[in-house]
Amino acid sequence: MGSNGGGDGAGFNTDALEGVRAILLKPSESLDESTRIAGPDFNDAGLGLAGMLGSLASTGFQASHLGDAIDVVNQMLDWRLSQEKPSVECDEAELDPKYRESVKCKIFLGFTSNLVSSGIRDVIRFLVQHHMVDVIVTSAGGIEEDLIKCLGPTYRGDFSLPGALLRSKGLNRIGNLLLPNDNYCKFEKWIMPVLDQMLLEQSTKNVWTPSKVIGRLGKEINDESSYLYWAHKNNIPVYCPALTDGSIGDMLFCHAVHNPGLIIDIVQDVRLMNDEAIHATPRKTGVIILGGGLPKHHICNANMLRNGADYAVYINTAQEFDGSDSGAHPDEAVSWGKIKGSAKPVKVHCDATIAFPLLVAATFAHKFHGAN
Amino acid sequence: PSIRPSLPLRLVSTTPLAPGEQRPLASPDPPENPVDFEFSGGSSEMSDTDEHHFESKADSGASKTYPQQAGAIRKGGHIVIKARPCKVVEVSTSKTGKHGHAKCHFVAIDIFNGKKLEDIVPSSHNCDVPHVDRQDYQLIDITDDGYVSLLTESGNTKDDLKLPTDDVLLGQIKTGFADGKDLILSVMSAMGEEQICAVKEIGGG
Repeated sequence: MGSNGGGDGAGFNTDALEGVRAILLKPSESLDESTRIAGPDFNDAGLGLAGMLGSLASTGFQASHLGDAIDVVNQMLDWRLSQEKPSVECDEAELDPKYRESVKCKIFLGFTSNLVSSGIRDVIRFLVQHHMVDVIVTSAGGIEEDLIKCLGPTYRGDFSLPGALLRSKGLNRIGNLLLPNDNYCKFEKWIMPVLDQMLLEQSTKNVWTPSKVIGRLGKEINDESSYLYWAHKNNIPVYCPALTDGSIGDMLFCHAVHNPGLIIDIVQDVRLMNDEAIHATPRKTGVIILGGGLPKHHICNANMLRNGADYAVYINTAQEFDGSDSGAHPDEAVSWGKIKGSAKPVKVHCDATIAFPLLVAATFAHKFHGAN
Repeated sequence: PSIRPSLPLRLVSTTPLAPGEQRPLASPDPPENPVDFEFSGGSSEMSDTDEHHFESKADSGASKTYPQQAGAIRKGGHIVIKARPCKVVEVSTSKTGKHGHAKCHFVAIDIFNGKKLEDIVPSSHNCDVPHVDRQDYQLIDITDDGYVSLLTESGNTKDDLKLPTDDVLLGQIKTGFADGKDLILSVMSAMGEEQICAVKEIGGG
């Protein structure tokens, strides 16, 4: 032990020193080497996107959460029924290995409207185009913004643009995006004849529901840049119980003044949505939810009816301290039975415009393009 | 007097309109027996009967309503909603935005039956505004089946109007008439419909 020149050591108790040592230099438990922190090495010219994505898990903080989320989504994509032991009551057909190899995880994708206003709409379109997700839940803006983008573009703006000035120029601001009023006028012009036609087709046998309306709109827009077009084409249901809470609602309102009678049945849709979860078995279910609000809750609630989703990834910026559902961590959902206790859910605290493209690149896109 | 239209006109039909019916400006399916007159600017090839047809058409169809831009219609003005002539009691506008083009929201009262009607019209669109006329007639008689006999300006009688349904007005007319008073009835007319809307006593005998 080193001396600190303390003369004859009077007043310097060896025991006390030992005590201090024990506190300051407490021997540490050894940690698993695989959890060592290391970021991407940009000295490596060949690092590329794949290399950088691979380094996320070991970078720490939310990058690590994103790395974990990538793992969970890859598990969702890789899971097959053949990995599970056959259940006791299953019938002959379910024992067939070929069948079991073909049964995949059912993926619910939820997102808020602002993400559709952003360029994330194009990432969503990629997923829907290639039938990589099975059920979509969003809010009203998540429907109309996709359609409107086929009629007129959204522009880059700035969070600090003054509201009164924008109003005078007929520009609507969503964060740092700008949507000209003209786009909504074009949407009005486009949708009114469709609503007229829908009213004519309405009957006691053919009642419209939000998902049917959305399917029809996806068919009518007939534009490959629209995710709703692909959802219609690939028969992927899009649920939106609050369809009236957006420009579509304004259009329905104005339409009803001149041409009343259109009925949109949300009860039918809640049955369908819950059935998506209940009848998913023997498939496992996975939820990928961007943002909070209605889409987040609606998906989790449906999964509660099957005693919880097997995989869950949340990407949002909401906090739990106010008790909001939007900010609630996956573990809160476990308490409700919305996510299985045996699941390993991940929440990435990050703006989805950053995290989601990275997530898709490392999972869906990676598998789609092969391991090039 | 010969009529020299400056634009080529095409007269399509002379069937009189039912009350409340409006003749469309450009009829897509011409009726079975169209009365077809082709005029070109400057020359008139009309006989007296043709002229008569033309006048009566103008009288029965053209002037029931006139178009006005929605944004120009004010509270207290008139508007046609669902083919009914109405008086506007409330107008509000929402500027162009998420709901599309700027719109005028009208709340109006049907001038004949008092029902409240609403409409939302883009402010740049044209609305139909009804011509609302009021004319006074002296009351001559009330028939047993509830019709009134009125004296017109030309000295003829007008017998096609029923007593009003409004209790107050009805009471005033019946009592006044029974008391032998001289009553002037105001008749409101719009879009082929007529109704007694007010009653005045003339002083004396």
